[in-house]
Amino acid sequence: MDEKIPNSNVIETEIPLGTVHPAALEPYRLRLFVEDEIVREAEITIGVNHRGVERIMEGLPVEKANALTEKICGICSNSHIWNSCRTGELGLGIEVPERAQFIRVLMSELERLHSHFLYLAHGCEVLSHETFSMRVFYLRETVMELLSMVGGNRVQYGCSVLGGVRPRCDLDDNRIQRIIEGMDTIEAGLTDFVKRFTADNIIMSRITGIGVLPQKQALKLAVTGPSLRATGVPNDLRTRMSEYEPFDFNIITQPDGDVKSNLIVRALESFEAIKIVRQVIDQLPEGKVVNHDWEMVDTDITDSYIEVPRGTLYHSYAIENGKVRHCIIRTPSMANIGAMQYACIGDQVTDAQLAIVQCDPCFTCTDRAIEIIRR
Amino acid sequence: MTIDTIIFGILALIVTVIVCFIVSTFLPGIERKYVHARIQQRIGPPVTSPGIMAPIKFAFKDNIKPSSPVPGLFKALPVVCFIVVLVILIALTPQAFYIPALSSLIAIIGLLKVEEICYVLMGALSKSVMSVRMPFPDLVKGGVNLDVTRSFIEDISAKRSLRMITYGSFPLYLALFGPVAQSGSIFLEKIVEYQHIHGPYLFTVSGMIAAVVFFLGYMIVLNEYPFSFIKAKSDVIEGPYMEYAAKYRGIVFITRGFLMFTLAALFSLLFIGIPTNLFSWGIILNIIVALIFVLAMGIFSAFSPVFTNRQLLPVSVVASLLGVLAIALGVL
Amino acid sequence: MGIKSFARKRAIHLMLVYTGGCNGCDIEIVNSVLSPRFDAEQYKVFLTWNPREADVLVVTGPVTALNKKPLEAIYEAIPDPKIVIAAGGCALMGGVYNNIHGDIPSEEIEGPVDKVIPVDAKVPGCAVRPQDVLSGLVSVLPKLLEQD
Repeated sequence: MDEKIPNSNVIETEIPLGTVHPAALEPYRLRLFVEDEIVREAEITIGVNHRGVERIMEGLPVEKANALTEKICGICSNSHIWNSCRTGELGLGIEVPERAQFIRVLMSELERLHSHFLYLAHGCEVLSHETFSMRVFYLRETVMELLSMVGGNRVQYGCSVLGGVRPRCDLDDNRIQRIIEGMDTIEAGLTDFVKRFTADNIIMSRITGIGVLPQKQALKLAVTGPSLRATGVPNDLRTRMSEYEPFDFNIITQPDGDVKSNLIVRALESFEAIKIVRQVIDQLPEGKVVNHDWEMVDTDITDSYIEVPRGTLYHSYAIENGKVRHCIIRTPSMANIGAMQYACIGDQVTDAQLAIVQCDPCFTCTDRAIEIIRR
Repeated sequence: MTIDTIIFGILALIVTVIVCFIVSTFLPGIERKYVHARIQQRIGPPVTSPGIMAPIKFAFKDNIKPSSPVPGLFKALPVVCFIVVLVILIALTPQAFYIPALSSLIAIIGLLKVEEICYVLMGALSKSVMSVRMPFPDLVKGGVNLDVTRSFIEDISAKRSLRMITYGSFPLYLALFGPVAQSGSIFLEKIVEYQHIHGPYLFTVSGMIAAVVFFLGYMIVLNEYPFSFIKAKSDVIEGPYMEYAAKYRGIVFITRGFLMFTLAALFSLLFIGIPTNLFSWGIILNIIVALIFVLAMGIFSAFSPVFTNRQLLPVSVVASLLGVLAIALGVL
Repeated sequence: MGIKSFARKRAIHLMLVYTGGCNGCDIEIVNSVLSPRFDAEQYKVFLTWNPREADVLVVTGPVTALNKKPLEAIYEAIPDPKIVIAAGGCALMGGVYNNIHGDIPSEEIEGPVDKVIPVDAKVPGCAVRPQDVLSGLVSVLPKLLEQD
């Protein structure tokens, strides 16, 4: 199978779902076009979440604007504030202390853990497997406690600031000890979960070969992140980011592009994240965590890409009189929406929801005013 | 038969039914607290909450007009379901043996079919706010396929119930005919008598196979995970029950627990030879069978995802073949 | 205490409507019900996704323009007696999204929630903690129990 093509001729009925739906959690409208119970075409309408964060950011002082980007998304909040600060630092030429970089990577990986656990738990929930969902949520609580210990809040941590990280997020021996213990707990629990999950024949029959996204189509739709890696493309921006240079980790790929591959990619990536967190703890350099030695100047439009749990995140803005101008944010789920619409073609209605969830949608991130220019 | 025996019989019947009903209200709570919550490593709700307190609470809610083309029929359906289950339970008591038309397997199967058809009607008549009626501007310029018929999520659920009637409930009915093949009669009285003479049907090879098939059929008829296809949370949310509010929803809740008990009572009559009678020690066995069924169902459902057509059909076919095997062994 | 309030206290069905915040509150609340760590079911609170079944409507997020009508429709569908809990900073006062620079209101936001539907309890926090949601629910329970 090279590509999945919607077939409009055989459509019998339309089933609209949303905006409030247990499998979605986030508000969006989904129109499934079905023949009997087989989905032939799908349309996802977003815009329900549009709040215009970039519009509010225009003209705010840079520090405030950075804090505001965190409110774009409650799942990958740290990624947004990190990338926003990174954009400012690249523009202003601020040197970030090494310890601060390490702590940022630590937060980012902890966040990847919590995001992937949320994905696994939600995937099990959509499979209607309450027990596994609860088990993963229980594991996730450990990560949330670590995050709230370092950042001070369970969801919006506000870790990065221009020039480093907030001094509150600095790691002392006590915190390092708790992180090490937490990683051990999570690794043990996750190993157990993955073993059980992959050994469960009923679940495997539910998820193997469902919601397949062919590799060629994934590349054409510019899918990013784990969803792309689940189709067999070893593309991870972390390998090209300077922050990740000291660390040793593998790029996880799976061949099939179905729900099983997606779930397994996330589960294995969580192990890699645990590995990175341990390396951060081992190699954590001494020094200050924030660099105040810089001046606010006007900059041209600078942009920055980082790898977040869902794929590649793009931020760009210019600074004028210490205020943000011309802000553009492109979130990974934006690229993955196309994948969702195609992945569910040819499956049952129940599996269609699973095929949408497999792309790890985050519609709050996604609702940006954008214009697609295909070159 | 004197007037006294008739009056005594009817009184015994009423008391039996009431006691069974009270026992049955605990079953959903037992499943939720002692099986699901236990497996999920949490405390779970009180035993009384899902089965008893929730229906009472719903009874005190304000009634609303359901969004349905035929509200009267729609509201009557859960009541019909409840009455059907009640009649099945009555048919299982020794007092009902005096009415051969009622206490035969054909009557019970017919009544179970009514129950299933009720799901189809419920699904087809329910027009909930969660899909088409959600006020969202999606039929706008730029949308695809704007001229296609729009259907409610309950319509899929009605289609699925229809499918369940055609192949989903085969295992249960085949398992019911296992004892018939063994004893050579469709009348419950004769089946009970046969088992009193020859020992319980459950302890024969054919009986054991039929019991397994019966258990699968029990889960399918109760729409419990993994066979909760018609009310799969991931797409149809609650399926046929979406629009029921207030006391009608209470009846839906009660009917579920009651059906759990009634099917277990049916099992103990057909497979062990104990009719539902409060005035014999057999009632304790009845309750034990009901508890074992609930516990087994809870364990099974806690460890499996919902089945779609792809899994449901093979399971149903295999179970049906086993059922046929059980009948064939019984005949030989 | 009559049987009415006794039964109401023992089975509370909670429905969550999420009207477009940042997802944080939403996940925290679902988490509080789903995760075995908080397990709302031990306090007799059951999560439901069917408005006809619900007693308590938990609203998060600053009601965005496209979410106003669905929220009203779902509120209408819940049979009386019902209570509404607005959870999170956005649901309480529109959060960071409500105002663009000082007093200029954002045209994307219709909220806060009490402009759209009557609210009985307000749970602050960004994002709300699961414990706070449960305690907010407990604080308005008398209102639910005493209604006819």
